[in-house]
Amino acid sequence: MKKLILSISIIISGLVSAQTISQDTTVTKNQQRNAAQNILNGTSSKGITIGGYAQVDYNQPEGANGKMDVHRLVMLLGYKFSDKVQFVTEIEYEHVNEVYVEQAFLNYSLNDNVNIRGGLMLVPMGIVNEYHEPTTFNGVERPNVDKSIVPSTWREVGVGVTGRFNEASLGYQAYIFNGFTSVNDTKFLGGSNGLRNGRQKGAESTINTPNLSAKIDYYGLPGLRLGLSGYFGRTQAADDIQDIDGADVGVSMIGFDARYINRRFSARGQYIHALITDADDYNTLYDANLGSELKGWYAEVAYNLFPIGKEQKLDAFVRYEMYDTHAATLDANIARNQSYNRNEWTTGLSYHIAPGAVVKVDYQLLDNAVNANKTKGQLNFGFGVWF
Amino acid sequence: MIYKSIVSVVFSLFITFGQSDKLQKKIDKVVKSTFEVESFSMQSKTFSLSIMSELPTKFSNDHFFEIINNDQLLGYAYVSKAPSKTDEFDYLILFDADLIIMTSKVLVYREDYGGEIGSKRWLKQFIGKSSSDQLVYGDNIMAISGATISVKSMTNAVNNVLKSIKMLQQKQEL
Repeated sequence: MKKLILSISIIISGLVSAQTISQDTTVTKNQQRNAAQNILNGTSSKGITIGGYAQVDYNQPEGANGKMDVHRLVMLLGYKFSDKVQFVTEIEYEHVNEVYVEQAFLNYSLNDNVNIRGGLMLVPMGIVNEYHEPTTFNGVERPNVDKSIVPSTWREVGVGVTGRFNEASLGYQAYIFNGFTSVNDTKFLGGSNGLRNGRQKGAESTINTPNLSAKIDYYGLPGLRLGLSGYFGRTQAADDIQDIDGADVGVSMIGFDARYINRRFSARGQYIHALITDADDYNTLYDANLGSELKGWYAEVAYNLFPIGKEQKLDAFVRYEMYDTHAATLDANIARNQSYNRNEWTTGLSYHIAPGAVVKVDYQLLDNAVNANKTKGQLNFGFGVWF
Repeated sequence: MIYKSIVSVVFSLFITFGQSDKLQKKIDKVVKSTFEVESFSMQSKTFSLSIMSELPTKFSNDHFFEIINNDQLLGYAYVSKAPSKTDEFDYLILFDADLIIMTSKVLVYREDYGGEIGSKRWLKQFIGKSSSDQLVYGDNIMAISGATISVKSMTNAVNNVLKSIKMLQQKQEL
């Protein structure tokens, strides 16, 4: 009994002291002054930002069993320490049971035109890697160019600058990032997904050579937005093998993208081309099949079937994609696999039932360059939200 | 408790003294270049509470100003905040003496998404609009890919200011 009373009193005193401590930390002079400074700076002084996006898919290939998947569930958490200093993170659940950190960076706003940023960030390449929220693209699944050529969601740890110039309608980003790893446990680069297996995603990632990534966005023509991206560097190898021929490969990727909106009509497209050097040594060392060039593009048009001015939007769209992870293989000293040279038609509807909530349906025809390959059909349903 | 009251006093002081220095400097710069004057004064223009409460947007202190140079009315300025994806941005609209939009500017934008609305080229679309115009996103106001939320928000904000001016004109307050 005595013991019980003692332990209860310890718990109570613990709670009381905890409360006192929390009061002490919230009512410090320092914090109050910061609040006032925020007002002085004319900020809205919102501390915490909570948001997120989610995408739930149902894929039904012809002649095979379907797949239902809570594909992505991402929680955005941001904190604004001051008008200049902000932390942003996205915590992602993929396929319900895989947990990742998709972004986690600290941003310092130097002035209206320049931000300095470091941490786990998205590599700016093409459209979807950066604008990957399901309400921002048509089709249940992201375009496959943004899976096999641009390995979205492609993110690594790095540091860089970003900003815009309103007079010129120009946005820019330039970062030094950690690169792909040459070998990811038992997985190698190459095959149908090119560089995708090499993503380190900021998880105890190895670095021995920094990579450079940059993008320029121009939005000065009415309705049109153009992007030019570049990524240059080498893959990362572990200490014990980094001096062996083929331990790493050189990666140079360029991308061009365009988006256009005029009243109810919209269109977008992108072209991505990657050159891989020393792929021959890499393939010899690891018995891999990494091509010396990766290439892909797509073009998409859409038309909103609802009148302008309605809050809801019903986009009917059609997209053609071509992408090849063996676009060149001669320099890589491997045989070209024509099944990696793929093309796809995707057509369907995106019904935006409210800004930020979309229900999607589409049909895909998936084909490749293998002689007499039979085109496969796939029906997709899904919804996406972004808030 | 004491701290709380200090904060509220500080807060109300800033409200009374108008825009922050940083914001005011930006406003001054735009006014000078738009009206091509070196000196001017901005006088808050207010209306009765009963009228202001009917307006679709805020016209209380520190939102609507007369711009005066040598006792002559050059035009008007409207300053406020509008929501972006997860934050708010500050914007300025300058009108001539006949309340036709001369220019607009995003003064402070605080997040990544949608910063494109600061584009001078995009904001040009509002020039020449007056209370007789109705702005429709995607129709007479062009969209920007990757900035939908902020584009809609800015369009809505300007629309509400124009609507308010129309109501004030109908009541012969302007």
